[in-house]
Amino acid sequence: MKSIRTALLIGASSLGLALAAQAAPMDLVGPVSNYKIFVAKGVDRLVTTTAAFTAAVKAGDLKKAQALYAPTRVNYETIEPIAELFNDLDGSIDSRADDHEKKEADDGFTGFHRIEYGLFEKKSTDGLAPLADKLNKDVVELQGRIKTLTIPPEKMVGGAAALIEEVGKTKITGEEDRYSHTDLYDFQANVDGAKKIVDLLHPLTVKADPALSAAVDKNFAAVDGILAKYKVGNGWQSYDKVTEADRTALKGPVTALAEDLSKLRGALGLN
Amino acid sequence: MNDRPKQDRHSSDAQPASPDRRKMLLGLGLAGGAVASGLTPGAAFGASTAGEASQPDQALEARQPFYGAHQSGVTTARPPAGLVVSFDVLAATRGDLERLLRKLTERIEFLTQGGPAPEIDPKFPALDSGLLGPVVTPGNLTMTVALGASLFDGRFGLAGAKPTHLQRMPQFPNDALEAESCHGDLLIQICSDTPDTNIHALRDVIKNSPDLLALRWKVDGYNAPARGANQPPFTPRNLLGFKDGTANPDPDDNSAMNRLVWVAPESAEPAWAAGGSYQVVRIIRNFVEQWDRTPLQEQQSIIGREKKTGAPLTMAAEQDIPDYAGDPKGERIRLDAHIRLANPRTAESQANLILRRPYNYSRGVTKAGQLDMGLLFICFQADLENGFLAVQKRLNGEPLEEYIKPVGGGFFFALPGVPAKGLYLGQSLIEATELPGDSAHPTPRKSS
Repeated sequence: MKSIRTALLIGASSLGLALAAQAAPMDLVGPVSNYKIFVAKGVDRLVTTTAAFTAAVKAGDLKKAQALYAPTRVNYETIEPIAELFNDLDGSIDSRADDHEKKEADDGFTGFHRIEYGLFEKKSTDGLAPLADKLNKDVVELQGRIKTLTIPPEKMVGGAAALIEEVGKTKITGEEDRYSHTDLYDFQANVDGAKKIVDLLHPLTVKADPALSAAVDKNFAAVDGILAKYKVGNGWQSYDKVTEADRTALKGPVTALAEDLSKLRGALGLN
Repeated sequence: MNDRPKQDRHSSDAQPASPDRRKMLLGLGLAGGAVASGLTPGAAFGASTAGEASQPDQALEARQPFYGAHQSGVTTARPPAGLVVSFDVLAATRGDLERLLRKLTERIEFLTQGGPAPEIDPKFPALDSGLLGPVVTPGNLTMTVALGASLFDGRFGLAGAKPTHLQRMPQFPNDALEAESCHGDLLIQICSDTPDTNIHALRDVIKNSPDLLALRWKVDGYNAPARGANQPPFTPRNLLGFKDGTANPDPDDNSAMNRLVWVAPESAEPAWAAGGSYQVVRIIRNFVEQWDRTPLQEQQSIIGREKKTGAPLTMAAEQDIPDYAGDPKGERIRLDAHIRLANPRTAESQANLILRRPYNYSRGVTKAGQLDMGLLFICFQADLENGFLAVQKRLNGEPLEEYIKPVGGGFFFALPGVPAKGLYLGQSLIEATELPGDSAHPTPRKSS
């Protein structure tokens, strides 16, 4: 009885296939080193753009600082699975007011969102200079740490799922960039970061579990399709503009992606 | 803990696989679930006595039938733990909607009947949350699926098949509806002997429908155990401290249920709806601090019953029938007392009887620093207009409104039951709305 039920349930999903054809650990060497290059380039871009962004903040150029905020952040959001391995830096670079007991007034609240609060809520660069300096220092520190990091394969593979969980938890609600409403930049950056991992692994995944691979591709396309409606030039509309219907419609493919990507590590035989 | 029910426990629940027998034993009234299974919530929630700790809890093996003309969870005796969850349906096509209904059928069949949780290579996320351990115990679980009016919009071609009275819940005069706690495309009422059984079931549904359902709102409730009485009726009390449900129609009276609760095969409703029922859910906050500062006699005249015994005012016993004809000026029971407005006990008002199946809820503190608790009101009826809407119309403006505030809920239609294995929830609706050449079905099926 037990074995019949178990067999039926597992047989009904694509997982049975996955168990049959796991990738050998050696197969992952290529994708992981390519991912390392991707992350290294990403953090370099983060350092360069943050320098320009914080320079505008310190120069008191509110308009320019506001304009550079979102395009700078995306470089962090794209490589988040690796960046957030460094807990201390993730807190000081990317925490939100909710993470702190005294919210916006908390001394521990620093980084992108604290500067965002000044630029978009207070509409001023007053008092932001020390925060700008700290952010600059933190991203340079991050760059140094990533340089010497060996990326564990399971962190890379698990990172795709982690990015999508991030989208489902905090991006769909519009709470991430609550002062600037630039959530769609982060949204797309998380999705792109996850997609990059999936693409690098594609030759392995498609062999290990073609059904899973196809389902993932389909849901990435669905998310991209909805997001595309809100693209303006090189940027994105304010998250306010995303209709309730589209917010709800995004939940389906995002949640399905989270479920499917959670099987990726197992499908590739990683612990 | 009370010793009395223990005998029942061993005699009734040692035979968990016989729903009929169980139902017979449960015919004690509304609180029968708790009594017959020997479970006060304390016992159900794990505070078992020394002798029980060493062996599996037989009571958790009790199960309710899944297949039948009607869904379980409507006339089923109310177990101690209840949860109502509302979803937006994300399915984009009729095919996806059918996939959702088939998936719900499969999951509910398994969860309500129980069995070993499926196992898988630990490199993968487990298929089961593991909340109930390696073997899923049914724990008297019922999962009742109902559809909101919004599902009958243009998305799935169901517009022509909407139950006659199904509508978006309107705002009644005393309501202060919070948008995030209202309405929904699909509602599941989950009831069982223990809260962890309900949460396990909910998480199973969510895990199995990631691209099909999005959570909208959820309320957890509990059913107060029988207490303070040695004989039936064991009517439980609500958070106002009053017995609630005394005048409910008897869920074991089939002819009453066919008349009042189930949509009949020959009726004004679409044929597919036969065997279903209109379900109303109302999240009714009780201002309990203010209520506790109200003189007892005022509470009693607002409700119309003795708080201690549940008897109608000036009468002796809970089940006594108030004589409103002999009290035309409301000298014994005020004309605007809650029980008198809700059920005036006239020949005409017999058509307005509804089957109430509420739970109490308690969920934290309001911004004003008051308790956020109240009644998760649930009722079923064959005719929404003659049922809840007629009753609510009489209640609008009642003095009790000073102490209660409905903040959410919705109107739904509980689907007919799944008659037999191989069929699925809502199949009659899907088939009733099929167009020639409809691509709802991935595989060709014989037409009937």
